[in-house]
Amino acid sequence: MSNAEPPSEADFQKIFAAEAEGRLDTLGDQLIELEKSGPTPDLVASLFREAHTIKGGAAVVGLPHVARVAHALEDLLEEVRRERRKVDPTLIDAVLAGVDAIRGLIPLAVAGDDHERAAFEAEQRLRIAIGGEPAGAPAPPPPPVEAPRRPSPPAAEAGGPPEDTQTHRVAGHAATAAPAAPAPTDITLGGEAAHHAAPEMLQMPVHRIDELVRLIGEASASTLRLGGALLDRLECEPSSLSEYRDLARCLNELQELALRARMIPVMSLAPRLRRAVRDLARDTGKQIRFETRGEDAEIDRGVLERLADPLLHLVRNAVDHGIELPEERRSKGKPSEGVVRLHAMQLGSEVVIAVSDDGRGIDLGRVREAAGQSDSTALEMDDESALYLIFRSGLSTATRVTDVSGRGVGLDAVRASLNAVRGRIEVRSDPGLGTEFRIAVPITMATLRCLVVASAGRRYGIPLHSVRAVLPPQPAASVGGRDMTMLDGRPVPISSLAGVLGTGNGCDGPAVVVSGLTRSHALEVDELIDQRDIVVKGFGELVPRLPAIAGAGIQPDGTILLVLEAAGLIERARRRALHGAAPLEGEGPGRDGAEAPAERQAAAILVVDDALTVRELQRSIFEHAGYRVRTAANGEEALERMAEEVPDLVLTDIEMPVMDGFQLTEAIRARPGFASVPIIILTSRGSEESRRRGLEAGADGYIVKSGFDQVALLSAVERLLGASQ
Amino acid sequence: MALLIPVASETYAVPLGSVREVVVSPRVTPLPTAPDAVRGVFNLRGDVVPLFDTGRILGLASIVGEPYAVLVETEHGVAGLLATDMPVTVRLHESVGHSDLEGTTETYLVGELRLAVGLDMAVLLNPVRMAQ
Repeated sequence: MSNAEPPSEADFQKIFAAEAEGRLDTLGDQLIELEKSGPTPDLVASLFREAHTIKGGAAVVGLPHVARVAHALEDLLEEVRRERRKVDPTLIDAVLAGVDAIRGLIPLAVAGDDHERAAFEAEQRLRIAIGGEPAGAPAPPPPPVEAPRRPSPPAAEAGGPPEDTQTHRVAGHAATAAPAAPAPTDITLGGEAAHHAAPEMLQMPVHRIDELVRLIGEASASTLRLGGALLDRLECEPSSLSEYRDLARCLNELQELALRARMIPVMSLAPRLRRAVRDLARDTGKQIRFETRGEDAEIDRGVLERLADPLLHLVRNAVDHGIELPEERRSKGKPSEGVVRLHAMQLGSEVVIAVSDDGRGIDLGRVREAAGQSDSTALEMDDESALYLIFRSGLSTATRVTDVSGRGVGLDAVRASLNAVRGRIEVRSDPGLGTEFRIAVPITMATLRCLVVASAGRRYGIPLHSVRAVLPPQPAASVGGRDMTMLDGRPVPISSLAGVLGTGNGCDGPAVVVSGLTRSHALEVDELIDQRDIVVKGFGELVPRLPAIAGAGIQPDGTILLVLEAAGLIERARRRALHGAAPLEGEGPGRDGAEAPAERQAAAILVVDDALTVRELQRSIFEHAGYRVRTAANGEEALERMAEEVPDLVLTDIEMPVMDGFQLTEAIRARPGFASVPIIILTSRGSEESRRRGLEAGADGYIVKSGFDQVALLSAVERLLGASQ
Repeated sequence: MALLIPVASETYAVPLGSVREVVVSPRVTPLPTAPDAVRGVFNLRGDVVPLFDTGRILGLASIVGEPYAVLVETEHGVAGLLATDMPVTVRLHESVGHSDLEGTTETYLVGELRLAVGLDMAVLLNPVRMAQ
């Protein structure tokens, strides 16, 4: 199943290129004016703003090298703004050279041509102009320009002065751009060979292996169909033929070997996570050591790619919410340096990855309180159930959302990403001692072992990894309006699969107990058929995401078997129990399209940014997520828009002409009709001072723009909207 | 050239270039929990292809049964559109008027007193619209 794809960066890069062209022209004109008439505060502020906007736009559309040069240009203009630098022809020359360099770099960058070297040189020239010394010494905080979606970056370790990082990155990019595969792949395929001399290695593009895996999968499916045909047409049980068995066995082995060729170490993600820990620790003033264990655990490359964002979220959470500030730790008798650990291990057909910290743990009282505002059952939950409330969307334990910092909780987003790779997440927390999140994911996604059941005249596959037990026909007892049965001495809700899917009514056959991430549920079916390995396919982009259905497999007889998704089924069963089945049935047999997203569709977001690129990018992100979006190019325009219609949330940049983001925030807070509208400040200024100013002005959140991090942005917005409704 | 898709008493037209093939009585597996416009999925030589109720995606009455499926190529993958009768190929003449129905383009005269309305596939078969 493909979820909504992020909008194409290439499109936004083109918008950015067009916009930057105009801004570079303005910069050029203003520089000439500066040289002629000398610096006035307005002129200097405008120059600075133009450079700043170009930097922000470039970073956001994924042109990090352009952003770096613009950043250096901005720093040089900052010197002028702070009057630490005299305006003389040398300065004008340097700035103009920077403007020209950016003008030359953008087309190259947008076309995907090599421009790193040129960017590096241009940046160095600007840095030299700033202080007469190269970039090294008083490094500005590294701009958040690392494109977040780059798969397994080469070992460009954090640390060291910026020029160091730069050269690493240049080298790294060159390596990725080369035709060779990013990760060397050992295709000797024999684990045993590794003992003696280093095995011979061969690098190959990943897509060749993907193609191989796909073909082997097809061959396995054809073999199954062949078996079906033998039985149907010749009435010959295929498993009685040794030739058929040999074929099936060979294909199985082949598949396993091919899948192993796609495996890469889990720890190939470590450099990126270590970098995130370091940066965030520095921003938040914490002392943190990052430790890894489990260097030998390997996982399918495709699965690991999808784990990158969830792991990044968890690691940032550990730093941001888990580890305490050094003074607080010392006062509790802990070492002032906190530890964040990443631990990977293989358990059977799953890889378990744990992210743990020795911080303050999760405050269950506050979790209950926060969830209790919308769900009164939260207050009575036992500790374990309450702990899992943190995965609900919109839940935040912060009394006031003071810091969403682009790394906000977003645990619901983590859970959703894990769902996509059929992973589970568990959490454990000891107050005062720390928190551990454990992710368990199947090593590969190619085939899925399923229990096949019949329900209301149709057959479905239920992934075996989510089946906890199979029970004989059960007597059910009604508890609080819900039917319950017992499993291992604990009550489990029970309902018929047909009822949950809306395909029919109850039945009294056996029950399959499935468990999702946090709950279990017994589903009554008509009959248990057998177990099968299914090559699961999605339904394409046009079919909306169906939480209860994972995909479909083609059966030997050509029919399609739907494969169900435990977490989605359980959620659906729970909602039906809460809201009653009656209203759903009025809509016709088996149809209730009224899913949750409809509820939030009306929410309107006002995006305020002077950069067209950023406005359009954000419009696209939010419209994609089902929000209504209106835009304004500065604070004054924003207030006009708000007078026409009060939005549900305002997302604003800081640096803007006419009225900046701080002034806008203050103005909104000062007007009675607007005072309660949540405001998020989104900016490329990462400094503590601007953050404090933003929050003082009355913003509810402050997010540092870092590339294309949609997930963080959306989850911050969802949290605030959830809190205000 | 265009392919005419009969939907009950009405006729819709899609550019022939976007049509891959027409399947007679596809064997459809319904997708429980999906919106009404999604009739289900079927097996097209080993691929799982979604089939849409042409009536429902236009906001009209639902089509009974699955007599014909017209497979069209869209930006978002191959999709089947249900037709109530055998689709035929015609050459479209000049438009005789604009169609106001969302997801449609122009109206064409395709026979004596028979009108066909052009479908705008980019609007109709689009993930955002489907999710609504």
